[in-house]
Amino acid sequence: MSDIFPKWTNRLPLYVILGGLLVGSAAIGGIWYYFTPKYTRVGYMPKQPVAFSHTIHAGELGIDCRYCHSHVEKSWFSNVPATGTCINCHGPNNGGILKDDPRLALVRQSAETGEPIPWKQVHKVPDYVYFNHSVHVNRGISCVECHGEVQKMDEVWHAKPLSMAFCLDCHRNPESKVRPLEEITNLEWSWSDDPKVAATKQKAFGKDFVEHAKIHASQNCSACHR
Amino acid sequence: MKTAPPACPYPETGARYWRGPEELSDSPEFRSWVEQEFPAGAEEMKDGATRRDFVKLMSASFMLAGLGIFGVGCRRPEEEILPFAKHPEGYVHGVPQQFATALPTRTGAIPLVARSNDGRPTKVEGNAQIPGGNGGTDVFAQASVLSLYDPDRARRFARKGTDGSLAKAGRNEALDALGAIGQKFSGNGGEGLSFLTQRTHSPTELRVRAELSRKFPRAKWFAHEPVDFDIRRRSASTAYGRPVQARYHLDKAAVILSLDCDFLSTEAGMETFSRDFAKTRKASKAHPEMSRLFVVEALMTLTGGAADHRLRVPASQVIRVAAQIADLVLADSGIPGSQTGDLRNALTNLGRGLSSELANADWIRGCANDLLANKGKAVVLAGYQQPLEVQLIAHALNFALGGQGTTYDLVPAPDLGEGTLGELAASLNAGSVDTLVIIGANPAYDAPVDVNWSAAQAKAGDVVRIGYFEDETAAACNWHFPLAHYLESWGDARTADGLQVPVQPLIQPLFGGITVIEFLARIGGLATVNPYELVRETFASAAGGSLVENAWKKFLHDGFLAGTGHQAVEAAVNWRTVATAVAGASAAAAPSVDTLEVVFARDARVDDGRYANNGWLQELPDPVTKVAWENVISMSKETAKALGVFPSYWDETALTEEFEKIQEYQNLEGKGLTYASLIKLTLGGREVIGPLWIQPGLADNTVVLQLGYGRTKAGRVGDLAGYNAYALRNSSAPWVTTGGSVSVERDRYEIACTQTHWKMEGRPIVREANLEQFKQYPEFASAMNGHEMPGGNRTLYPNPLDELRKNPNVVHQWGMAIDLGACTGCSACVIACQSENNIPIVGKRQMSRSREMHWLRIDRYFAGPFAEPQMTNQPMMCQHCEAAPCESVCPVNATVHDEEGLNVMAYNRCVGTRYCSNNCPYKVRRYNFFDYNKRSLKEIAGTETKLLGTVYSSPLTSTTDGEWDLLRWWKDPDNNTKRPTDEWELLKLVKNPDVSVRMRGVMEKCTFCTQRIEQAKIERKVKARASGDVAVPDGDLKTACQQACPAEAIAFGNLNDEQSTVSRWKADTRNYSVLDYLLTKPRLTYLARVRNPNPAMPDHTEHPISTTDYAETNHVHGNPNEAHHGGHHDDHGHAADHGANGDH
Repeated sequence: MSDIFPKWTNRLPLYVILGGLLVGSAAIGGIWYYFTPKYTRVGYMPKQPVAFSHTIHAGELGIDCRYCHSHVEKSWFSNVPATGTCINCHGPNNGGILKDDPRLALVRQSAETGEPIPWKQVHKVPDYVYFNHSVHVNRGISCVECHGEVQKMDEVWHAKPLSMAFCLDCHRNPESKVRPLEEITNLEWSWSDDPKVAATKQKAFGKDFVEHAKIHASQNCSACHR
Repeated sequence: MKTAPPACPYPETGARYWRGPEELSDSPEFRSWVEQEFPAGAEEMKDGATRRDFVKLMSASFMLAGLGIFGVGCRRPEEEILPFAKHPEGYVHGVPQQFATALPTRTGAIPLVARSNDGRPTKVEGNAQIPGGNGGTDVFAQASVLSLYDPDRARRFARKGTDGSLAKAGRNEALDALGAIGQKFSGNGGEGLSFLTQRTHSPTELRVRAELSRKFPRAKWFAHEPVDFDIRRRSASTAYGRPVQARYHLDKAAVILSLDCDFLSTEAGMETFSRDFAKTRKASKAHPEMSRLFVVEALMTLTGGAADHRLRVPASQVIRVAAQIADLVLADSGIPGSQTGDLRNALTNLGRGLSSELANADWIRGCANDLLANKGKAVVLAGYQQPLEVQLIAHALNFALGGQGTTYDLVPAPDLGEGTLGELAASLNAGSVDTLVIIGANPAYDAPVDVNWSAAQAKAGDVVRIGYFEDETAAACNWHFPLAHYLESWGDARTADGLQVPVQPLIQPLFGGITVIEFLARIGGLATVNPYELVRETFASAAGGSLVENAWKKFLHDGFLAGTGHQAVEAAVNWRTVATAVAGASAAAAPSVDTLEVVFARDARVDDGRYANNGWLQELPDPVTKVAWENVISMSKETAKALGVFPSYWDETALTEEFEKIQEYQNLEGKGLTYASLIKLTLGGREVIGPLWIQPGLADNTVVLQLGYGRTKAGRVGDLAGYNAYALRNSSAPWVTTGGSVSVERDRYEIACTQTHWKMEGRPIVREANLEQFKQYPEFASAMNGHEMPGGNRTLYPNPLDELRKNPNVVHQWGMAIDLGACTGCSACVIACQSENNIPIVGKRQMSRSREMHWLRIDRYFAGPFAEPQMTNQPMMCQHCEAAPCESVCPVNATVHDEEGLNVMAYNRCVGTRYCSNNCPYKVRRYNFFDYNKRSLKEIAGTETKLLGTVYSSPLTSTTDGEWDLLRWWKDPDNNTKRPTDEWELLKLVKNPDVSVRMRGVMEKCTFCTQRIEQAKIERKVKARASGDVAVPDGDLKTACQQACPAEAIAFGNLNDEQSTVSRWKADTRNYSVLDYLLTKPRLTYLARVRNPNPAMPDHTEHPISTTDYAETNHVHGNPNEAHHGGHHDDHGHAADHGANGDH
């Protein structure tokens, strides 16, 4: 039989097991890492049809988020502004800022024809997740917690994974994230430049706020899935 | 195969509790059916694909899926956000808007508030703001939103082409044709012009009609309603000698007598009747008072089920019973004999004809005495299907009982002077109609046969019609105009109370339909044809004053114009007119087996046929028979036996050879199906074939046919469902007729009946007591509880919800209570739930296999003898048990509890083991056996295959729109649907965006409208901001079923709030849990029903029959209403043990 099965075949089962383990671990590890929103979504930065810069508008000019995303406090959906909102400043009559700039051609065209500007969607939770903006921004959660420092983004990109684990991190520990309601849209805000002081203040404020406002971030399925 | 539920032994004698004829007969066949784990049989898959096919298919799918991933990439598809260029003022994306509108009906309008989700109407609720309104509606209003998206509705302007069939025409061309009609007849004053309309109460439509009459004085107007309630006006006008109509206030009544009047279900205005009636039926320990309902009827109806005393007589004999009661009442009413003498003579004569078998002198005497004892607080109602004389007797009784101004009043009801369909047919046949304009009516389907409508219509020179469907009548028209849905229309209407209400559009007409107002205005060539402007003109004249703009806005906002309700007028009955009419009454002799009585009945689901293409209504089980998707031919058991058509497999005595044959047949055809025989009913040389239904409580020698089915051009849902009872109907006797013979056409016919599912034997599921007992033992409901363990019921583990109730951070604990005293079983909640929660329809074949998807069902129980049963209804849905049996068996934690006490379903986790459903003692979980949302309506409804839809088919072999399904999927994986594009595009619009649409293989069930709960909590938190005021106030949140209930039988809210309605209900002594001895601790509890029979009546029993039944089954000695009585039932709580132990 040794003609058919040379000696090294005695170790074949071991190789198979080891190899299988290696391949299996690699597959599991690969899927674990590569198939999560952390890998697939974070960093996603589609090119928008209009070169709108949040750095200029939200950062340098300091326009409040709610000037454009005006329904964020009323609806589950934070609206992308209508062309009319852009035209308020960039229109030929009112404001007239950059009224002939070629980068705004699509905006002017949209205002004239009524055709919407086809913005690319960046942030999206799956259809079976019923996320509500209004309840978060009215109860101490800032835009920056989920969207990152948008005021520093020329082109908006996906900064946080927005996975279920990401949501639950905060729902399990809302004290660490809540902030005074008047600072919700102030994306640069922090308690202090000194991280230690900031942490202490946050701890004190968070505990107090959560208790007074009866923040009880649900961790139940029914909170988001219906 | 699970073990058979160990049944409680039935007592040898006495009453028992049963749900259907099969169960009463307790045949071995039925037993075997009950014993199956899944009556429907999971081996269903064998029709089409084998396991091998399945594996093949799966491997192919995985391969394609793999290609998909690596070919396209892992990223989600790129999507766009398209904001408005110019934002509409006041619009917030994602926040639903509410608009006040109204559903016009024959007798008025139901004021509604319609919800619009981003421009799509998705749900309607009753308008609770109107005076006296509670937001309740009927089933039709709830289902009307689906009709808006009906893919079969008239979608084009059409004119008859050269080949004789309708062909699409241009809108302008069509509208010009309307104007041409007016011009054509402007010269001769409308000679030869006839209008056939439906009953309307729209002030604007009536105004436009008046203008047309002015312009065309010689034009003739006819009205046609196959189910007409105009007799209310005619009878009151005759009785009182002036144009009035009676308006009833049942909430003020102490005694109600219904003369074949099904005011809780099929009578128009059931939502207001139910509302008022229920107010008098909620007895409590503190206020143990309630009204008493007497019902004299032939059919078994929901009103009969709600009755305290029910007299079963054939429909043609109701008049004689009414006469006898009236005779007795008038004798002692205190009205001088000089006035009532003639009438009493006529009544005596009429009453004398009541045959001896039917005569129940004690009952009639007792009823009359009760009415007399409650003078001023008694009211008598006569059903629309009873002849004029019965109506007159009812009016005379009401007047004599002195209820005018209290239990009823009179409101103006002018005669519009419209002719009948018969008169129109006569003038058509005489050739005097040049142009016939049909508005909405569908006489080609529902005209009485003796009118011979099709032949008559063909004699008209030109037929122009506006209709919602291109239906039977449309086929023979020269022009057909698409009618706009009421949610697309500007209009107005009056409620039955006379309140002027707006009909406001929520959406542009989907297919360019126009309203009746515009249609008529264009024919008349009016200066204004825009319905909005016409309605505003009408409104301006009604509201007057300089603030019309503000008033108009308020009108649209509130949904009614205050102060426009009818002003009651006082009038006295004209005794002589009534006496003359009653003396001339020609009442038939009592029917016998040889001279059967045939009764036509308005259907509780599809009305007169107008809702035949509405899937939700088709799938709604009839409230009494629990048969869906078709109508049946009902008769009593005795009658069926006497006629020789009683199916042997329902008979307890015929279980021999015949039965074995049937068993063989059953094995062949698949188990667990409900069968009925198909019988042929011949009447006057015409015949219909339909399933025989043995109905408990139905009068003997009476055959009941439900109208509205057997449509041939209803659409892809309604075609072929049921038989057409209009084919036997004559205009001389539209409701009750004599004659007819029956024969068995086919022995076994599959029928979709939800009645005999889920047998619950001998357990106190519905608890009842009589008022006298209730006063003595207000705790009777808990007296029927299972016994406690010595030392109390203790569990191994603490109940986590007990802890959560103490947690100050969890401010809500949700709970519901349903008052069985108020619930009538009307099923409006079932449709409301379907609409709110995106519940699909599954079709007859699936339903017959117990696969219906209704989250909320109404269980209807009968107790007592088959012929004279007592009926009870119980809404049954997820009980949200604190100790939920479903949760402990789920292998993937797909069903778990949330901390507010809801039993939630995470659809994404569900892998479809169905263990939860098996372990649910209430059988309220629903499983998606197929992707019902992706199947075509034809496939579901089975309109191509004689109602037996093939829902399973392999994508390997099937084709859609002539294209191989696998190829379709390959081309566009998002569109792997077997639903044609038009259905897909339309039906997705009706979905509630706040609720996931479930796919195949997922379990679902009542969520207590978790989306509404979350919405209410979020709204509250948004208002609260940094404050801690986050508790949802009581009343801010209503579940869909609660909101739709006209009887206010459902309370839902926060149990942590002791002042909330639901907490107060649960503190009521009538509160109990179903199957309490299982210790599941349901969050949904019921308030036991209290009946109010009169001890002086011959049919009075000390306890309701179901209570007696409970006592006998459980060997309760002494009064079952009394807690802790001596000597009985040491294992009372373990009803299930009885079967194993035998007796003891």
